[in-house]
Amino acid sequence: MDVKKYPLKVTLHKFGEMIYFSQLDLVKILERALRRAQLPLYFTQGYSPRVKLSFSNGLKLGVEGRIGVTFYFTENILLESLLEKLARQLPQGLEIITEPLE
Amino acid sequence: MIDYTQIQKPQQYIGNEWNVVKKNHDGKITVCISYPDAYAIGMSNLGLRIIYGLLNEASDVVCERVFLPGQDFIGELLAQKNKLFSLETKTPLDSFEVIGFNLSCELNFINFLKILYLGGLALKSSERPNTIVMGGGLANPEPLAEFVDCFYLGEFESGAQSFLEVLRKYKDKESRLKALSEIEGFYVPRFYVAKLSADKYCFERTYHYASFPLRRAYVKDLNSAYYPRRWLIPHTPIVHDRVQIEIARGCPNRCTFCQARSLYYPYRERKPEIVGQLIKAIYETSGYENFSLLSLSASDYSSIESLIDETIGYFSPRKIGLSLPSLHIDDIIGGLYKKLIPLKKTSLTCALEVARDDLRSKLNKKIDTSKLFEAAAILRALNIRHLKIYFMFGFPGETEEDLAAIGDFLQKLMHQTKIALHVSVNAFVPKPFSSWESVPMAQESELILKRSIILKHIPAWRSISVTISPIKRTLLEAILCRAPREFSKVIHNVLLKELKSSLPVNSPGDSFWWDRWKKAMEEEGFDYRPLLEASSSNFPWSFIEKGAGSENTCSKLQIPNHKLQINSNNQNHNG
Ligand code: SF4
Repeated sequence: MDVKKYPLKVTLHKFGEMIYFSQLDLVKILERALRRAQLPLYFTQGYSPRVKLSFSNGLKLGVEGRIGVTFYFTENILLESLLEKLARQLPQGLEIITEPLE
Repeated sequence: MIDYTQIQKPQQYIGNEWNVVKKNHDGKITVCISYPDAYAIGMSNLGLRIIYGLLNEASDVVCERVFLPGQDFIGELLAQKNKLFSLETKTPLDSFEVIGFNLSCELNFINFLKILYLGGLALKSSERPNTIVMGGGLANPEPLAEFVDCFYLGEFESGAQSFLEVLRKYKDKESRLKALSEIEGFYVPRFYVAKLSADKYCFERTYHYASFPLRRAYVKDLNSAYYPRRWLIPHTPIVHDRVQIEIARGCPNRCTFCQARSLYYPYRERKPEIVGQLIKAIYETSGYENFSLLSLSASDYSSIESLIDETIGYFSPRKIGLSLPSLHIDDIIGGLYKKLIPLKKTSLTCALEVARDDLRSKLNKKIDTSKLFEAAAILRALNIRHLKIYFMFGFPGETEEDLAAIGDFLQKLMHQTKIALHVSVNAFVPKPFSSWESVPMAQESELILKRSIILKHIPAWRSISVTISPIKRTLLEAILCRAPREFSKVIHNVLLKELKSSLPVNSPGDSFWWDRWKKAMEEEGFDYRPLLEASSSNFPWSFIEKGAGSENTCSKLQIPNHKLQINSNNQNHNG
C-alpha cells in the first residue's frame, strides 16, 4: 500500500530568536507546527515512521538567513493553503516566504 | 547583554517555547519558579509545568521560569556584573515577589542556593526583607529551613488558590508568611523552633496561630484538578521529550522502602474520559509526537486495558509515540502485549528490586518474575531493543546469596530472551516517611563489600550493561534527606566552598563531592553517623504528620540484623 507523496517546496526565513536553533531543532519545530496545523503529512515508511522533510541548505547557529524546505503531503496542498494554515503555527522568527531561494 | 553565539546550547536561555506565557508585570503578583538543575532536566519535571500553568491562569499573576545555567553562562553573568534573570521577560530574580523551587532532589540543594546567589538574593531567609522563597516537593524540609521562607508540604494545586489570596491581601513579607502559616500545607520554619534535647527532636511553634501539627495537603479529586493543556514545547530536545499525561497519583502498593507512595498518598486515578480529553487538547495545541502515560504503577490503573485501547486508537493514525514507563512487565507479557505491538516502543522497564522472591516478599514488592522467563517469545514480538531492570541492595537481612542471585538472574534472563539488558543497581536509603524510615542504613564498608559481591557475579557480557550507584553519592543523598535543621550550616559551608573555587572543566566525580561535603561537616562539627543509624521513631521530620496509610510497619516487623551473612564456601558462586 504505497501512499502517494506530494512534495511542496518553500523558502523559510530564520531570524531573531530563532537563529539560536540548530537545523536539527528545526526538523522538530517544523514537524510539530505541521502537526498542529493538521496538514495531511506524509510519513516515512518502516518501523518508526517520521515526518518527511528535506532542506536544500543549512544555516550555522547564530546566523540569520533563508533555507529551502520541502514538505511532503499525502494530498496535493496548494501553497496558499499551506501558508494560511502553517503561518500561525510557526514560532516568532520563522516565516515562510513565497519567493524562491536563489 | 550576553552574546549567545559564544554560549553552549543557547537554546536553553531564549525562553521562546511554544505556548510560553509572557505577560507585562504592571500591578501583577510576580512569581518565578525553578527546578534547580539544567534546563533539559528542569523542563522535564511535571510539577513545574503544572504550577506554571496554574499560576498563569490567574490574570493578576505572572509566573515565569529560571533554571541553573551552564558554567559559561554563569561566567558571562558574573563578568558583566549582571543578575540571573527569568526566561520569559529577562527580569532579574530579585525583582520577583516570590521565587518557588522544586526541591525534590536532594543533590540539587546546592544548585538551589546558587540560583538565589546568582539572582542577587540573600541566601538566608532572615536576610531577605522582601522576596519570599518557597520550596516544595521534598519529604523532610529541615535541612533547608534556614534558606526557605515557606515550604509547601504536599501537592501545590491544592493550596495554590489560598496562596494567591494571601498574596493579594497582604503586601509585606511578615504578614504574608504569618497568613500562609495558618493554612494547611504551608510550613513557615521561622515560626517554629526545632531542637534536639535528650536525643529527642522537639518542635514548638513560636507564632501562636501557625498550623500545628503539620499536615501534607493533597488534591482530593484528580478529575477536577488543574492540568496544563497548553503544553510548553521547547524547540530543542530535553531529557523526557514527551508530553506526560498523569493518569494516576499515588500507589496502592506498599513496598517498604518506598517514599513516593507516602508522599503521594492516597492513591487516586484520573478517569479515562478525562485522560482522553487531555490527550486530545494537548496534542492539538502542541503537535508533540510523543506522549507518556504517567503514574507510579500503571498496572494498578483500574481500566488500563481500555485506556490503552482508546489511546492507541487516537495515536496510531497520527503516528504519535506512546510510552508507559510504569507498566509491570508481568502485565505486559500477561496480556497487554498484543495491544502494544503497533507502538514504536523500544524499551521496557522492570523494577524487580531484588533477585530472590523471598527477600522481595519481605519488601512487600509484588512481581511475578517467573512470567518474565516464560515470555521470551513475546518480548521478541514486541520488538524492543532492551529491557531496563532495576535492583536495590543494602537491605537488612540480605544474604550473600541474595546479592549473587542478581548475576545469576541476569544470566538466565539473557539466555532466554536474547534481549540486551540495561541494569541499574542502587543502594537502599531509609527515606523519611517510607515504612522503613527507621531501619538503620548499612555502613559504608558493608555497602562497598556488597557492591563488589554483586559486580563479581554479573557476567561481563556486552549485552548486559550495568550502572551501580556510587556508594559515596548514596551516602550523601541519605544524609541530605534525613538531616535536621542545624544541617543548614553545612550546606551553607559547601556553597561557599563552591563559589570560591571555580569548577573544573570536566565535571568531577562523586568522591570529589563527597570530600567537599565531608570537610564541611567536619568544619561545622556535624557528625552524620547517628543520622543514618537512628533506630528510634523520632526524627527531624517527625513533626509532619504521617498520612493515613503510611503508618510505620517497622515496629511490627522484625527488622533483621544488618550484618552480612557471608557464606563460608562462597567460591561456589564463581562457577
Ligand atoms: S515501589 Fe512499590 S509502593 Fe512504591 S511506587 Fe513502586 S509499586 Fe508503588
